[in-house]
Amino acid sequence: MRAVLAVARMEALRLLRSRASLTLLLIVPAIQILLFGYAIHPTAGKIAVAVAGADPSGRVSAAVEREPGLILAGGGLPAGGAEAAVRDGRASVGLELGEDGEIRAVIDASNPALTAGVDGRLWAAYWQMVARRGGVAPLQPALSIAHLFNPDARADWGFLPGLVGVIMMIAMTMLGALSLARERETATWETMLTLPVGPLDVLAGKIAPYVVVGTLQGVVVLGIGAALFGLPLEGSVLALVALMPVFAAAHLVLGYAVAARAASQLEALQGAIGLYLPAMLLSGFFYPFQALPGWARAVGEVFPLAHFIRAARAATLRGAGTAEVLGQGVPIMGFLALMLVVVWAQGRRSRA
Amino acid sequence: MSPDDLVVADRLGKRFGGFVIRDVSFRLGAGSMLGLVGANGGGKTTTLRMLAGLLAQDEGEARVLGCDVRCPGKAMRRGVGYMSQRLSLYSDLTVAENLWFRAGLHGLPASSVAKAASRFGLNAELGTRVENLSGGWARRAHFAATLLNEPKLLLLDEPTSGLDAVTRRTIWRWLRDLVGAGHIVIVSTHDLAEAEACPAVLHFIDGRADGPMSPAELIAASGGASLEQAILTLAEGA
Repeated sequence: MRAVLAVARMEALRLLRSRASLTLLLIVPAIQILLFGYAIHPTAGKIAVAVAGADPSGRVSAAVEREPGLILAGGGLPAGGAEAAVRDGRASVGLELGEDGEIRAVIDASNPALTAGVDGRLWAAYWQMVARRGGVAPLQPALSIAHLFNPDARADWGFLPGLVGVIMMIAMTMLGALSLARERETATWETMLTLPVGPLDVLAGKIAPYVVVGTLQGVVVLGIGAALFGLPLEGSVLALVALMPVFAAAHLVLGYAVAARAASQLEALQGAIGLYLPAMLLSGFFYPFQALPGWARAVGEVFPLAHFIRAARAATLRGAGTAEVLGQGVPIMGFLALMLVVVWAQGRRSRA
Repeated sequence: MSPDDLVVADRLGKRFGGFVIRDVSFRLGAGSMLGLVGANGGGKTTTLRMLAGLLAQDEGEARVLGCDVRCPGKAMRRGVGYMSQRLSLYSDLTVAENLWFRAGLHGLPASSVAKAASRFGLNAELGTRVENLSGGWARRAHFAATLLNEPKLLLLDEPTSGLDAVTRRTIWRWLRDLVGAGHIVIVSTHDLAEAEACPAVLHFIDGRADGPMSPAELIAASGGASLEQAILTLAEGA
């Protein structure tokens, strides 16, 4: 019994002195509670709706604004404007109002988690409108609904593009963190700093092979999605592939930033794991991005994963062009630059 | 400062919480060797790391090969070979792969690897992974990597620690050859026989560096009969 107590005491002391273990035990659950308590409301999604066509008094636009869970992304648009807004990603639902009273709803089904209940809500609203008018229900309803990009609302198509990013994020952050932490545990990193090579050269040389591996990994996952699950590759997939090295580099350098503060490989690993959860929850992978409150979306925008998921959905399901897909690379490059500054500053501080 | 002084430390100091290393001063020209001796935690490794540009000093100045160690540029790094106490080779790479890596960083041709392998007797081990080498062979490979570009200044942190007598003797023969060829060697050691082989030593005690002086002067200053006795006497009197 004494021996057991001695071992337990030693283990407890080590646990209490390990900053990373305490972070994993206390901070990560706290983040989970906060995120699930305040940010994650998958049933109360804010759906952006665009209204176009015959709505001269703005009655439909006003009704959309009044409806909880809906946001008016554009009202009073010319005919065809609502569908255009859905096609270019400004709105999730477009309402095209015809002069003859016909309503054509266009739904962006590339994110089924967000728009799954929209059909039912549209039909309920339509029949309520008919009832309010006191009229007899028409034999042929004047409402038609079209699902764009993912007509069968396949859930696997909804998450497969994002999964490419999640797999790359996990692998690259972990590889970056472990690669540097391993070197710091041995003396090779210290010796590297005494050799005639600049810090940026070291960083570029260290991440280059992993960037290639990460890009290949992304291409393979995307290919499997297309081959096994029929994921459509409607848009500029080449632009998405071009984005992958930047996305991989951003997470490798993030891993370095984590490792630079870690005392061991285990701590670096724990730090990397601590980042996955908020990145996945706030990026639109698990829950629709639009369903998050404003502050959570602002935090989510920082993570490269949120932008990569948008680019991946655009390049696969939504048939987006090169400019739209590559446009998501700008904030990813911003994140990469920020991480480079963090790593550089940590390197300077370690000499002090 | 004389133009012949290639390594100059002037009242160099570093604070770590409550512990202080201060007044590390010496000047070394080409073909010099300085031994750093003293108890564990006395400041030997810290001094070497400051001179290598790995750690910024809190007090004093140091110039190595004309460069301020606070902002070590590529020119200084080309001229300094730092060998840490721990093996700083990639254990999952072979000896040759480690040497190629170093050669690439120094911009040296592939032939430099073969030359270093011959010089340090590593030809038979070039294809062996470092993790499979014995301590002595691994240290030889470490030496070969550090000396690949013939650095003017060698900073060696207990290079013979844990090695057998034959390997220690071999390493010290290399060091004497290097000094003879005009290189500067600063070496920390716990082995007093090795310290006695240094023309000058810096004795670290209670966070202060005494010297440089010859081992004989250190013995005389303590009133002891040997270097071991001198260091023990000085440590007890501190």
